Amino acid sequence: MGKIIGRIAATEKNPTTIDDFFFWTSKDMILNPFDVIKVNHINESITYGVVEEISHITDTASYLTSFISNDFGDVNIQPNTQRIGMNYVRAKVVGNTKNIYIPVRDGEPVSLATAQEIRQALGLDNIKNPLVCGYLEMYESSSDEKVSLPIHLNSQFLIGPEGAHMNISGISGLAAKTSYTMFLLKAIQYKYLNMEIEDNVAFVLLNVKGKDLLAIDESNDELSKIDKECYLNLGLDDEPFKHVKYFYPYADNIHTNTYADKNLIEHQTNLDKAYWYKYIFEYDKENLDLLFSNIDDPAQTMESIINYIISEQGNFGNIRNWDQFLAEIDKHCQAGSSKDKEITVASWRKFKRIVRKALNNHIFALRASEQDRETRLQDSIKSIKKNEIFVIDIAKLDEGMQSFIFGDVMRAVYDLKLGQFDGIPEEDIPSRIIIFIDELNKYASNDIPKNSPILRQIIDITERGRSLGIILFSAEQFKSAIHDRVKGNCATHAYGRTNAIEISKNDYRFIPPVYKNMMTRLKQGEYIIQNPIFRSLLNIKFPKPLYKQFK
Amino acid sequence: MLNKILSFVETETSGKSYKTHKYCFDGIEMPHLVYDDQPNLTLKQYGESEKITSPRHLYNKSKQIEKFSQPLFKYFLDGSRRTYKVDDMAYDNRVYPIIAGQIGVGCCERDKRKNLKSKLIEHQLVMAVPENASKDNKKKLFFNNLVTKINEQNFIKTRGLNFSKILDYADIKLQIGEKYENLGIAKIQDEMIEQEKRIVSSLVYKNLLNEDSYLLKDGSLEYKTMKTGDFKDLSIIKSNYKCVVGVSKSFNPEKCIDARGHSNAQKIAELKLYHRTPAFMWESKVSRGTEGNVKFSIWYLRIRDAKYTSSPFEGIIKVEKILISEQEQKYGLKTEEIDTISANLINERNPVCYGKDNRWANHLYPVYLTEVFIKSKYLSNEYFLNLF
Repeated sequence: MGKIIGRIAATEKNPTTIDDFFFWTSKDMILNPFDVIKVNHINESITYGVVEEISHITDTASYLTSFISNDFGDVNIQPNTQRIGMNYVRAKVVGNTKNIYIPVRDGEPVSLATAQEIRQALGLDNIKNPLVCGYLEMYESSSDEKVSLPIHLNSQFLIGPEGAHMNISGISGLAAKTSYTMFLLKAIQYKYLNMEIEDNVAFVLLNVKGKDLLAIDESNDELSKIDKECYLNLGLDDEPFKHVKYFYPYADNIHTNTYADKNLIEHQTNLDKAYWYKYIFEYDKENLDLLFSNIDDPAQTMESIINYIISEQGNFGNIRNWDQFLAEIDKHCQAGSSKDKEITVASWRKFKRIVRKALNNHIFALRASEQDRETRLQDSIKSIKKNEIFVIDIAKLDEGMQSFIFGDVMRAVYDLKLGQFDGIPEEDIPSRIIIFIDELNKYASNDIPKNSPILRQIIDITERGRSLGIILFSAEQFKSAIHDRVKGNCATHAYGRTNAIEISKNDYRFIPPVYKNMMTRLKQGEYIIQNPIFRSLLNIKFPKPLYKQFK
Repeated sequence: MLNKILSFVETETSGKSYKTHKYCFDGIEMPHLVYDDQPNLTLKQYGESEKITSPRHLYNKSKQIEKFSQPLFKYFLDGSRRTYKVDDMAYDNRVYPIIAGQIGVGCCERDKRKNLKSKLIEHQLVMAVPENASKDNKKKLFFNNLVTKINEQNFIKTRGLNFSKILDYADIKLQIGEKYENLGIAKIQDEMIEQEKRIVSSLVYKNLLNEDSYLLKDGSLEYKTMKTGDFKDLSIIKSNYKCVVGVSKSFNPEKCIDARGHSNAQKIAELKLYHRTPAFMWESKVSRGTEGNVKFSIWYLRIRDAKYTSSPFEGIIKVEKILISEQEQKYGLKTEEIDTISANLINERNPVCYGKDNRWANHLYPVYLTEVFIKSKYLSNEYFLNLF
């Protein structure tokens, strides 16, 4: 029996139930939400509970009593006797060693649990295919009993085939969404590189902010010794990512399309890691619809035009490059030119406005030259190998272009996994490909037009990707803004620091009020995790990133 | 049917049980004023070393104590009892009530962090039956045997209960207005007082009471001399009370008469905040024992402003202390000691139990807590009554 900290109190108004119980404890006993405690139960079993709420009460009948107790409002009174007071704690039942779930009995002692008992309580012992997802700390305030233990989840419930996809939410900066995703990806890559596992995995990451992910294979010089030790304690190494390739949007001038500086790219080029990606009309015209993903098209006129072009109607079959393509569109925009009555000139003009702006970007080019390390993204993704990480930089592109590229990447991965590309032996295709995209709200929010090809693609991946081996790791500030079918299909959810408005939304209805409020106070590097194999939400921590951080 | 206590008693005492309605006396009592102190209090002489004639203001002294020293009172004692009528039993064609009771006496200690902790607690279950329930003269032996037999009953054993005593009340011819019930209740009350005295004695025995750690007892210290019990004569055990102060929440102001036979009530009512009356000496008639009358110093102290209370006597407590040395018995308590005790009592005024107890203005919080603690140990009325 660990240190006894209180006893169960079952009252008329607050009985103990199958789901929860109350116990009293000293007002000086520091406990935190998510702490595990244990209670003796019948047949010498032990019931485990997780602290949900802590209240302090005294015998003060009313505020008036308190006022009177200070000589009717004298703020300097120091009474001889402390008012009788104690804390009472509401805890949720998470398990019983003998599967006995009748309510715990009044007066039973409540005590702190050991590390092994905490594992048992939270269902963290005997986890198959363990993959570290952080560590938890308990009883932090009491130095003797403090417990710190790594948390593992069953990787089959994170990256399939049992459960797949992860969604991370939290406000920018404070939640460290990217850092947490990268921590998980590090754990996954480490596991697949160092352990004998039947299947294999590759990663495609989209860099959407500054230079965030543009040096993930370089080590973080500012990482403290403690953080490095933390990685080792979690069963990982303290090295940055391996087998990384970077794909930058092509431009005449480096700075036009990327935040990366010349030295960085040169350095990566020398190490044979950096590539420039381009879009070539002949191969990529079929992706034109992706440029329209955020545009309302109720009459489906834009879709008609795209179909018109892809099916090479009119003169579109004879076109080789983007300039010719624009010229051809120009023709359709002239008054009285419309031979096809279905599509009006006005529609062609709208189409032109949208397309012209996008096609001005240098990534729409005549051809990609291999000698100059230029490539088409689709071609590169086709050749992705197991354990490889592709970082695709889209940070400096405008929103429309970002959608276009993300859509293209998803299509390429999808086609690869469906075996749509000829000439690639099946054994060369990684059995799982994890795509990480930040700011998911840009592509899959509730406001996105229902016919958006990207939204459809994302829904498809979240609904079918588990069996295909396409796993989506997504992040956004506000989970409530994300399309229900997308978040509903994520097996794992990570909640970082968020704000009060967000937690008042429906998505957080099932979360106890204290945890909700905790979400508004979470520190950087702290997450609340939900996964099918955990018996309750877990409050976990993770160390600072291993890879180079740009300021 | 379960062999409950009453049917067992019925057989053992060869009486006849009427299985009347069982109830708790405390719940059905008509509201009436109960005073903690003895009636007809006549204050005879000055009870302190200095001859003071007007109330003394003690706020500054109380502040000084608060600032420079530890509180004087470290232990707090209270006793309470709950009585029940559980049956009517016939012996020799007369019908007598059977009274049962729960007695709780507890002492709490205040630690350095100002928290109250339990020091000693005694919780007893007792019954009071007429003395002629024992048909022979050896009634003490009979009732001792009876209680042992009751405790051996499975019904009691399995519940982990234990009756400590069967008290016998006198089988006398009742005067007008007198009831056997009251005789039984009085017996239980006496038993409670006996326990209180026992606890004081045990604190003294353990050397816990001294000049720096006093015991504050709820209610009067004026114990009447009893016929039986280990502590029946207060005059013999009075030295136990050297560091004990009794504080009564309620007292009958009309009965406070000074040496000239005039009522003191107005003077007490008009006491200003944090003032005390001069102390009077009082010789108790009821606690007269083998070593003569026990003498007390008695004074009144206002701890709450009259403007906040509903009657002028609320907020005033009656303080008493037994005079022990010959010096004290002759000249009264030292004025310095009375002031110190009073100032410390003023410092006990906060917090209050307003909203929980109507007597909040007269209650001292640690005493109130001790009372709550004792009552929390009681078996619930339903549970207790169903034992019979």
